Amino acid sequence: MLSEILSIGFLTSLLAGTIRLATPILMPALGQIYTQRAGILNLGVEGTMLMASIIGFATVASGGGLWMGFLVGILAGAIFSLLMAWLSVTLRVNQVIAGIGMNVLATGLAAYVYRLLFGIRALPAKITSFQAVDLPGLSDIPCIGTVFFQHNVLVYLAFALVPFTWFVLEKTMFGLKIKMVGEHPRAADSKGISVTWIRYAAIVIGGAYAGAGGVFMTIAYLNMFTESVIGGFGYIAVSVVIFGRFDPYKAMSGALLFGFASALQVRLQALGSGIPSQLLLMLPYLMTIAALIFASKKAEFPSAYAIPYSRMER
Amino acid sequence: MKKSLPFVSLMFVLILFFSCLSPALAADKFKVALVLPGKADDVSFNQAMYRGAMEYAELNPDLISLKVVEGVYDVADIDPTLRDYADAGYDVVIGHGYQFSEPVNTVAAQYPEVAFLLGCGVGYQPNSQIYDVQLEAGGYLMGVVAALATQSGKVGVIGGGEGSEITRGHEGFKAGAKFVNPDIDIQEVYTGDWNDTTGAYEAAIGMYDSGVDVIWHSGDGIGLGVVQAAEEKDLYVLGNVEDQVTLAPKNVLSGLQYEWGNALERIFTSIQDGTFIREGEKETIMINVMNGGLSMTELNDVKGWLTTDDIAVIEDVYAKLGENAIELPEVP
Repeated sequence: MLSEILSIGFLTSLLAGTIRLATPILMPALGQIYTQRAGILNLGVEGTMLMASIIGFATVASGGGLWMGFLVGILAGAIFSLLMAWLSVTLRVNQVIAGIGMNVLATGLAAYVYRLLFGIRALPAKITSFQAVDLPGLSDIPCIGTVFFQHNVLVYLAFALVPFTWFVLEKTMFGLKIKMVGEHPRAADSKGISVTWIRYAAIVIGGAYAGAGGVFMTIAYLNMFTESVIGGFGYIAVSVVIFGRFDPYKAMSGALLFGFASALQVRLQALGSGIPSQLLLMLPYLMTIAALIFASKKAEFPSAYAIPYSRMER
Repeated sequence: MKKSLPFVSLMFVLILFFSCLSPALAADKFKVALVLPGKADDVSFNQAMYRGAMEYAELNPDLISLKVVEGVYDVADIDPTLRDYADAGYDVVIGHGYQFSEPVNTVAAQYPEVAFLLGCGVGYQPNSQIYDVQLEAGGYLMGVVAALATQSGKVGVIGGGEGSEITRGHEGFKAGAKFVNPDIDIQEVYTGDWNDTTGAYEAAIGMYDSGVDVIWHSGDGIGLGVVQAAEEKDLYVLGNVEDQVTLAPKNVLSGLQYEWGNALERIFTSIQDGTFIREGEKETIMINVMNGGLSMTELNDVKGWLTTDDIAVIEDVYAKLGENAIELPEVP
């Protein structure tokens, strides 16, 4: 048992699985850093991802091409999150309730759209998904090649978004405005920054990232749509942001940690460790909770986190 | 607003009139509600029942009128759904799946006039009956096929939730594989959720990476993930519930197929002759290899891993299962 775990083949497969499973968490998590930094808690990420996954998938299935499907998925995520922006910024409703409502809506709507477009069929609709990119010289390196250089292009894109997101938030005026709106909306307002506009933008950008993560599941990770294709990645992304203390690099390690635990769990079960399957299934969540306990000591939330802003109220 | 009031009242009266009339029109037909935990087109557990029930309804248009409800997965939703149909005057309510056990027994006790059917569950009332699949026999056969086909001596089995017919199937699979090769390496994973396509895909990739070259999956959304992994790694997968060869023509070696219509026919015969609702012990209505309700789909050995001798062994085991001549593992 132990010798099997320490074997090169096991580790290679495990680490490749880690990167694969971290991607659909990383994309929405990076987007939620914008949203949460602006002071909005958007729990509707799960639903946003689901809507993007079906609409992007349908685009590809109707012959639109993979990149077109990816873009349409991003757009679908952005549009769906506009609803959250309207609810939380314009109507100033409770953000937790609005987010959960969005998820319930998306669960029904996505299933309905799928049935509407594809009907009841004997075989599920399938597409040809993004294939692993072959990097000459790199993909063939034993072990390292398998772990790092045999993924599809969207995986690399997700990891490239980490420094990009960091740059936008830390080095641009727009990023500064987002953080100011999240910390002290009244001060931002008095300086002539539109709190409404910045928060709308932050939520829609978060939705676009979530859309990318959602459509990744149906056109790159799998090659079909099922109602539970997102399977909680959206909720995990929200917790990864808090765990990562709103920092893109720390969020990336959070996503990798969860990916690692999920990939390890199924492989330990397969080896017949003697641990009951139910206990192993808890592993990723136990590790997340443990990580949150360590991280929470220093968690510093934006001062206006989940608080709607109104110019008139004091 | 005031003007529309008479119109609304008239509509209301009309609706009331017709809703009272319609049961009278269909009084000689059984109104059947089939409640599925998943989608009718999941190429698996739900689809097999959907197909079986639709075919049965088409064959017997004068006997039953069928209403299908999909996606009632959570136990919290099942209880009110069953009550809705019992209240709406349905004669037969079918709960398809293990998670229906508790709600079917609770609701059946409160509607003694309505016949309830419970798929692959436990416990019955005077007015309810269990139908199930002898998956230990099917699993045994799949174990034999996997163990004969494997080139590496490593086989795998992936299931959704641990319990009921799935656990019996997995135990059967292990027994079948060990019958062929007592030293065979068997890997087993439960994803904990029948819909977890992503988790099943990852589990299958992990297994294939570690040298497994034939995996049997025990159905539902998870099956789609395992088939996709098999296609990517270009190795073999064995299907369950529905014929899945068309999903991946080069990688689906074989599989099991359920014919629920077989069980429905026997059940509706007893409903018709009035012997369905009665006190005392009731046998579970099984579909199995013996009565043809459970069959193996055609071998599709694209890679040529099975020799003629192997195929003869498979056919022999298949025939013996049909005669109930093989001792199958018992799961409490």
